[in-house]
Amino acid sequence: MDPPTAPTNFWTQLLLRPIQRFSRNGSTNASESRIRRRRAVVSFITRRLWLLQLTLFCTGYLWLLIIPSPRLGRRTYIDENALQPGQVNTYWNWGDVHAADKNLAQLEALRDSNATSKQRAEFIRDQFHKLGVSASTQNYAFSTGNTITNGTNVYGIIASPRAPGTEAMVISASWLSRTGDGDGTLNLRGVSTVLALAGFLKGYSLWAKDIVLVVSDGHLDGMHAWLAAYHGSTQSNLQADHLDLPSGVIWTALNIDYPGHSFSHLGIFFEGNNGRLPNQDLLNSFQRISLYTGGVPVLVYDHLDSREHPDLSGLPPWIPTAVRKHPEVQSYVYQAKNVVRHFSYQARGRPSGVHGLFHQFRIDAITLFAVPATGPHGFHAIGRVIESTLRTTNNLLERLHASFFFYILTGADRFLKIGSYLPSAILISIAMMFNGLRIWSDLAWSEDQPEIPEKQKQTQFTNKKTWTRRTRPVIKVLAIMIATHVYGAFLFAAVTSLWFSDNPKVASPLVFTIFAFIPLIILCALPSEKTSRGSLSATLKALNLCLASTVISITALLNFSLATLLTILMGVPLSISATSKKFAVRFCMYNVYIVLGIGWLFLQDETLKAVWHWEILSIWFAPFVCLVYTPLVLQAGLVCLLPQ
Amino acid sequence: MLASWKARLFVGLSLSLSVVKASGEQFDEQLTIQSLRDGKVASTFSFKTLLKGVSPRDPRTLGAEDASQHYNVFPLALGQILREYAVTELHLSLNAGRWNYDRWGYPKEPAVGTGAELWAWMGDGGQVSVDHRWMGLRNALAGLFCASLGSLDEQRTTSPDRSFEPEGMLPDWGVPHRIRHATLPSENVCTENLTPFLKLLPCKSLSGIASLLNPHRLFDADWHGMGIHVLWREDEGVEVRLTFQSVSDPVRSSLGRKRDWSFRSLFDRTIDRQCPIAKTSEITVALPSEGSYSINPEPSVVNAGKASFDVATIDKPLDVALQWSGDFQYVSGFDKPITPFSVQRTLRGSSQAHGQLSVIVKNHQNSTQQVVYLETMPWLVQFYLHTLEIRVDGVRRDGIFSDIAYIPAVPHSRPATFQGILTLPPSSALHLTMDVTKSFLRYTEHRPDAQRGWDLPPAVLTVLELDSNTSTARHPVNPRIYTSTLLVDMATPDFSMPYNVIIFTCSLIAFIFGSVFNLLTRKFVVVRID
Repeated sequence: MDPPTAPTNFWTQLLLRPIQRFSRNGSTNASESRIRRRRAVVSFITRRLWLLQLTLFCTGYLWLLIIPSPRLGRRTYIDENALQPGQVNTYWNWGDVHAADKNLAQLEALRDSNATSKQRAEFIRDQFHKLGVSASTQNYAFSTGNTITNGTNVYGIIASPRAPGTEAMVISASWLSRTGDGDGTLNLRGVSTVLALAGFLKGYSLWAKDIVLVVSDGHLDGMHAWLAAYHGSTQSNLQADHLDLPSGVIWTALNIDYPGHSFSHLGIFFEGNNGRLPNQDLLNSFQRISLYTGGVPVLVYDHLDSREHPDLSGLPPWIPTAVRKHPEVQSYVYQAKNVVRHFSYQARGRPSGVHGLFHQFRIDAITLFAVPATGPHGFHAIGRVIESTLRTTNNLLERLHASFFFYILTGADRFLKIGSYLPSAILISIAMMFNGLRIWSDLAWSEDQPEIPEKQKQTQFTNKKTWTRRTRPVIKVLAIMIATHVYGAFLFAAVTSLWFSDNPKVASPLVFTIFAFIPLIILCALPSEKTSRGSLSATLKALNLCLASTVISITALLNFSLATLLTILMGVPLSISATSKKFAVRFCMYNVYIVLGIGWLFLQDETLKAVWHWEILSIWFAPFVCLVYTPLVLQAGLVCLLPQ
Repeated sequence: MLASWKARLFVGLSLSLSVVKASGEQFDEQLTIQSLRDGKVASTFSFKTLLKGVSPRDPRTLGAEDASQHYNVFPLALGQILREYAVTELHLSLNAGRWNYDRWGYPKEPAVGTGAELWAWMGDGGQVSVDHRWMGLRNALAGLFCASLGSLDEQRTTSPDRSFEPEGMLPDWGVPHRIRHATLPSENVCTENLTPFLKLLPCKSLSGIASLLNPHRLFDADWHGMGIHVLWREDEGVEVRLTFQSVSDPVRSSLGRKRDWSFRSLFDRTIDRQCPIAKTSEITVALPSEGSYSINPEPSVVNAGKASFDVATIDKPLDVALQWSGDFQYVSGFDKPITPFSVQRTLRGSSQAHGQLSVIVKNHQNSTQQVVYLETMPWLVQFYLHTLEIRVDGVRRDGIFSDIAYIPAVPHSRPATFQGILTLPPSSALHLTMDVTKSFLRYTEHRPDAQRGWDLPPAVLTVLELDSNTSTARHPVNPRIYTSTLLVDMATPDFSMPYNVIIFTCSLIAFIFGSVFNLLTRKFVVVRID
C-alpha cells in the first residue's frame, strides 16, 4: 500500500518554504547553518523593523481609540460571593426620612446663622450624643505657603454588638459638596443623611463591624486630616488633634454627596489619589443595589446618559443623522465621555471626591453623588440604598481582593478588564523600545563603503561590505540625561516655591523663559569636541527612547491614564526627533520640544492646583511631570539641538 | 397506684437531696442585674459549687493512683481534668464583644477580654512538667467546651505572674507554683459552648436561675461571655464558679425609647421552679439612683440600693420587671468614663511591614495611680523597645515606666511578654508609643480561611494601690482592665487565580522581551577559521 503522501505535500512545502529561505546556502556544518539561519532571521526582522514599529504604533493608537467602543467591554458582575448585594429586606422607612428632614432644618438654620466650623461640629456632635452614639470632634490646620486652612471634623462610632470592634465601615459626608470641586456648595442633605443613619443603624444588632460616621469639614482637607490622624501618618504642614475614639481597621467607606433638593440618578465617583481605584466589586454591588433595591438608576459621574437624552450627545450637527442616531455610535459617544472623564481624573492622580483619600490606606471607597434634579428621589431612596450597601459590605469576611482593581468603567454596568486596555499603551512603548534599541545597535557599527547600490544593499547582507566598530559616548549621554533630570528638579523647586504661588501671572512666563534658555546656555558654554559628536545625538536618542518606553510601560500598570497621556505626548514626538545640518531647523525643533515639555507652565491654574495637591495630599503628578516627563521631552529637544 | 409510685419517688428524691446537702458539697446560685447609664442592662449569672475539705492534687503524686472521685453536685467532667493535670487554680473565659469600661464601668467578673482566655496555676515538680500538663489541660478543656482552646499552644503561652495573681490560695507543698496564660482573641463564643457549660450545672437549665439561660436571647446581647473559675481556699476547699455575663439593650429591642426590662424581655423565659439542690438562690437587682420606676414583684429584701429576691420562697413563675415612667433619654455626658482611668490601644500605620503601637491611658482621678501594663504579643508583631516613648499631656517624660520585664518573641515559636509599671500622674493623659515590625510569614503559616488579618490579644492593665504605710508593699485590689483587641494586616500574597494569570503573563512577556532584545542588540556572524 502506498502511503498517502499527496495531501501532506502542500503543507510540508508551505512549512519548509521559510526554512529553505533562511538556509539558502546549503552547508555541511550543522551549527554553521544554524548561525546562518539565525542571521538571516535577524536581518529579515531588522530590515523590516520600521514596518514593525509602524504597525505597533498604529495598533496602539487605534486600540486607544476603540477603548470606549461598546464591543470591547463586557457587563459588570460580582466576583466576591460573600457580598450578596440586594439580597436583604431594608428597614429604612418614612420615620427615618422624617428624622433626616428634621436634621436638615436644623442644619439649614445653622447655615443661615453663619455658624463657624467649630459650632457646626459641636452641634453635630451633640446630635450624635442625643442618639446615644459616642462622638467627638477633631481640629486641624493645614499650612500651604502663606495660607492656613482650618477646620473641625466630627465623627461618631457605633460599636458593633458582639464583635471585637477590630473592623469598621465608614459613612462620611463632607461639609462642602464636590460640585465645582468644593467651590462652596454645601452638602447639607448628605450630612443630615449621615445623622439620620446614625440613629437608624444603631437600632439593629446585625452589624459585624463598627460603623464610623464622619462629617468632615471643607471638601478634601477635612477628611485628609481625619484619615491621617486615624492611621497615625504625619505630615509636616498638617496640625491635627489625636482622635479620642478609636475603632478598628477600616475596610470600606461610602461617602455621601447630596447637594440638591432631590435627585434623579446616583452617580459613582471612584478615582482616588495617584490614580488608585477601589475594588470593582464595591461599585458593582452598589450599582445593583441602587437599581434593584432603591429603584434609582446609576450613572458613572454626574453627566446623564446621552443615549437617553439625545440632545446631550455633543456630536456636531454636520454628522449625518443616520450616523448620529446609530445606537453603536451613541454608545461610543457616551462611553467615550466616561472614559475621557476617567482619564482626566486618573492621569492627574486627582481624587474625584472625598472617597479618593481612603484608597492610600487600602480602604475601598466610593462617593455616591445624588445628581441634582427635580425628582423623583430623595432621602427615602438614598437611605435604603446606603442601608443595603452597608449590609453587603458587612458580609465581608476578608478585604475585597482579587484583581478587581484594574478596570476602566465605560458605563455604570459595563467595564473593560485589564487585558482589553493595557496592550494599547504597552504596544506603543514597545515600538519606542524597538526604535531605541535599533538606533543603539546601529551605532556600534559604521559602514566603510557607503557607495554600494541600494538594491544590492537590501538583498545582500554578506561580508562584501566592511563594517567597523565604533564606540558610543555612553558616559557623556548619561551625564546629559542626569543633567536634564537635575534641571527637572530645579524646575520643580521653582514651581513649588512660595514666590511662584504668590504671583503666578509674572512667574510662569519668567520661569518658562529661564528654563527654555538654560540648556542652550549650558551647551554653548561646554567645550565642543568634533570627533564623536554625530553619534552623541543618536546615542542620546537611543537611551531617551528606551527610558521613555520603560517609564510608560511601568506607569501603564500603576496608572493607565497617565501612561496613555504619556504615549500621546511622547510616543510620536520622541520617535521622530532628529538632528539636522542646518542650525535654524535644529533650533526650531528644539523650541517645539520646549513648548511640549514646559508649555504647561502657562496653564497657571492647573499648575497651582497640581502643586496644592502635591503639598496637601501628596499626589505625585506635579513632581512626576517635573522630574520625569519634562526631562524626557527635553532630552528629545537636545537630540535635535546637538549638531550632526 | 401511680400516685403512690410518684410519692415513693418523691420521698426517695428528697432523701437523696438531703444526703447531698449533708455531704461536703454546696451549690449556690446568684443573678445580678444592673441598668447601665446608656440604657443597657448588665446581667451576671454566677453558679458556685464548693467541694469542702478537698485540696488540689499534688503534682508529685501524678504517677500514682489517684483518690477516687465521688461527686454529687461537683461537675465530674471538670473534676477529672483538674485531677489528671494537677491544676491548682484555673480560669477560662470565652467572651464575644468589647466591654466598654467607659460606659459600663468595671464588670462583676473581671475576665472580659475578647475571645478565649485561659490561665492556670500549677505546682511545679513531679514527673510531668508544667508545660506538658498545660498542653493536656488546654486540649481537655477544648474537648469539654467545644472551643478551639487547643490553639492556645506555645506560640501563645506566656507566664505573666504579676498581672495574674492567684485569686484563691496556693497549697504549700514545698514546690513552687507556675502560671501559664494564653489568649485567643479570634475565638467566638456561641451555643455550642453554652450547652457543655449548662451540663456542668446540677440542675442544667431545667430549674432555678439557670433556666433563664436561653441561648436565643443571650447570644443576641451586645456583649456576652462565660467563665469557668476553679480556685482553692485552705479553710473552704475547692470552689468551681461558673459565670455568664451579658449586656443587653432593651432600648434597641423595644422599637421605641423605653429601657424597661423583665425576664421575659431579656431572656424570653421566667423562673418556674427553684433548683432543689441550691442552698441559696438569689436574684439581686441594682435599683436606679434616679428617675421614677417600679419593680415587680415586691422584692424580698431592699438594702443599700439593691433589691433581692429569694427564688426559693417567692411566688413562681417569677418574672422580675423594672419599669420607668418616662421614655429613655441619653443624658449629656452619658459616655463620660466612670472608671478611674480609661485605656485606648491602637495599632497605627497602614504599611504591611511596620506600624506603631499606641496606648493612651487617661487618669481621671486627682491622685497618682500605678498600673501594671502587660502585653502578651504573638511573634507576628515584634516590638522595637528602643523606640518606646512616653508622653504625658504631650510632654515627653522619663521615669514614668518602671520595673520593665521583657521576654522577646522568638519568630515562629514564642510570644513576647512585656510588662512594667506605669505611674499615672493625676488628671492627665499618658501616651505610650512604640514602633513595631510585622513579621513576614512563611506561606504555610497563612491560614487557609478567609484572610481578614490576624487578631492580637488585648493588653491587660492592673491597678496597684499604693499602700499607705509602705509604698513597696503592693497588692492588686482592683480588677484587671482588658484593652480592645487589634487586627493586624500582614503581607499576604493574593492566593486568587487572576494574580497567577498576571504572573504567568508577565513571565511570558519577559521571555519574549529578552529574546527580542538579544536579536536587536547582537549580531551573529560566521567566523571562518582558516
